[in-house]
Amino acid sequence: MFKQIQNWFDERIGLTKVIEEFNGERIPRRGGWAYTLGSLLAFLFTVQVVTGIFLLFYYVPYFPIARNATYFLKHHVVFGNILLGIHLWGAFTMIFVILIHMARVYFSGAYKKPREMQWIAGMVLFSVVVVLGLTGYMLVGNENSWWTINVLTNVASHTPFIGGFIREIARGGTETSVLTMQHIFAVHVWLLPIVVIMFIPIHLFLIRKTGHQGMALEYKNSKISEDDEKRWLKPDGTVPFFPDQFYKDMIVSLVVFAVIYILAVYVGAPIGPMYRPLALNFAPEADWYFLANEEILKYFPGHGLIIFSTFLIPSIGFGILFLLPFIDRTKERSPFKRPAATVLGILFLLLLVYLTLIGGEPKAPATV
Amino acid sequence: MAKSSEESPSRRTFMMVVIGLISTVIGIALAVPILGAVLNPLFRKRDIVWTKLGKISDLNLKPLTPKFVPVYFRVKEGWSVNTLPRQVVVVKQVNGDLLFFSNQCTHLGCPLHWIAARQKFLCPCHGGMFNATGQVVGGPPPRPLYQWVHKFGKDKDTVYIQNKFKDNPKDRGI
Ligand code: HEM
Ligand code: FES
Repeated sequence: MFKQIQNWFDERIGLTKVIEEFNGERIPRRGGWAYTLGSLLAFLFTVQVVTGIFLLFYYVPYFPIARNATYFLKHHVVFGNILLGIHLWGAFTMIFVILIHMARVYFSGAYKKPREMQWIAGMVLFSVVVVLGLTGYMLVGNENSWWTINVLTNVASHTPFIGGFIREIARGGTETSVLTMQHIFAVHVWLLPIVVIMFIPIHLFLIRKTGHQGMALEYKNSKISEDDEKRWLKPDGTVPFFPDQFYKDMIVSLVVFAVIYILAVYVGAPIGPMYRPLALNFAPEADWYFLANEEILKYFPGHGLIIFSTFLIPSIGFGILFLLPFIDRTKERSPFKRPAATVLGILFLLLLVYLTLIGGEPKAPATV
Repeated sequence: MAKSSEESPSRRTFMMVVIGLISTVIGIALAVPILGAVLNPLFRKRDIVWTKLGKISDLNLKPLTPKFVPVYFRVKEGWSVNTLPRQVVVVKQVNGDLLFFSNQCTHLGCPLHWIAARQKFLCPCHGGMFNATGQVVGGPPPRPLYQWVHKFGKDKDTVYIQNKFKDNPKDRGI
């Protein structure tokens, strides 16, 4: 029976061959576990889409109602708490894993020729995923959502020349209003997911075109010198994507999914109080992945300097990361053979962790 | 029968120009209404209204002791009329003049807390500090507190507030 169906398809479109080609992709064999991160991201994104679609059965993008609709979903819909919990913890995990994936690629020099475009496509995915997180945080309609919308649109308003326009377009007017929520909603559930859905295949297509580079340890037996590009063309050993690599991908996906599920069930998604523009004693908090940025905002006092914290430092930092393959054009890939890049990378990660840790602390105590 | 692109290079050029033109026309035709939808807020006039704050004599103001008074602006926003609840911070100066501040931090808009023990407004977000007359005394805020546009009624006691800040050319905050 199964054989017949297969033959039916093969006679017409040669399906078996397509599948075999996809599954047979050769993957470097020594670092298999490190290469599961990309597939893990694709898996996590799928989970976000699936849970998100069903959150929409209840969610209403309207300021006074959004938070209560979310509350209803969590407390009165059967297993709604799990659905919402997976969506929240899945988002957190995705942002965390994307950073690890980037670090893996960075330290193994896998963004170098011929893989510059893989990195660029990856950076598009990274930016979109972070904005998805931020907009999701705004959609809950609680107090933090309200102040995050205000603060972030104000940050955007410091962009030179067009800042005021950006804020007004994002808010749908001068004030945060019903239109603001509607815009954020459209961006979070349609615009950005579609960008991700387009860019994951682009990313993967590019990777398959050049083949996986993997890490330097895949090339230990190579006789060609480190600074010759040819060295990085042929790994010492490879395995087929299916089932060898896919098997590892599945195990990692399962473990991470289990963690997300447990967090969803036992910690859940905090909903927080209804937004109150009149609040007198509320201290807004950003999500954890924004705290490093939040910390930078605490410095640079006064009119002349505000542009450093709101625009220059974030955008220059992002620009450097985005264009990394064109800035670092050396040929060595092993982290030990390019100590400057490795040390800079480690320092950057440490700085990020440090800023995140102190970013959560208000600089002046709210009540004394 | 028309020649194929392989038979005639000029035919090939012609086809490519037509393909390019069609894409451009469709692209522009689609971009117009999309840009309209996105940029629409820039062409809307802001709905500015007066709303009553109340009588100053009812507030029992003491010099340099801010009073937070909520006001509710009824304004058109998009397709709906909404109530915007906002805080007016009324401060009586030593010479008796009144100031009507917004409780929004001028840095990025977080809600200020009045800390009586320190006689300061503190911002919970990035540590901005203002004194009772609205001047920046610490942290990142780039300018003094925003002041609401206001007017007194005939009785010289009732105050009306507009949903607009003074000296705010870029319409920040609110
Ligand atoms: C939704 C986000 C992403 C998905 C689904 C994704 C997916 C993948 C997959 C499946 C692979 C191949 C296996 C592996 O090494 O993991 C990969 C490799 C790669 N990724 Fe990503 N990725 C994402 C984000 C990023 C980001 C943010 C960057 C960097 C800015 C990036 C840069 C790269 C590069 C350069 C490679 C090639 C590595 C090599 O050849 O060894 N990716 N990605
Ligand atoms: S918003 Fe008040 S200090 Fe930044």
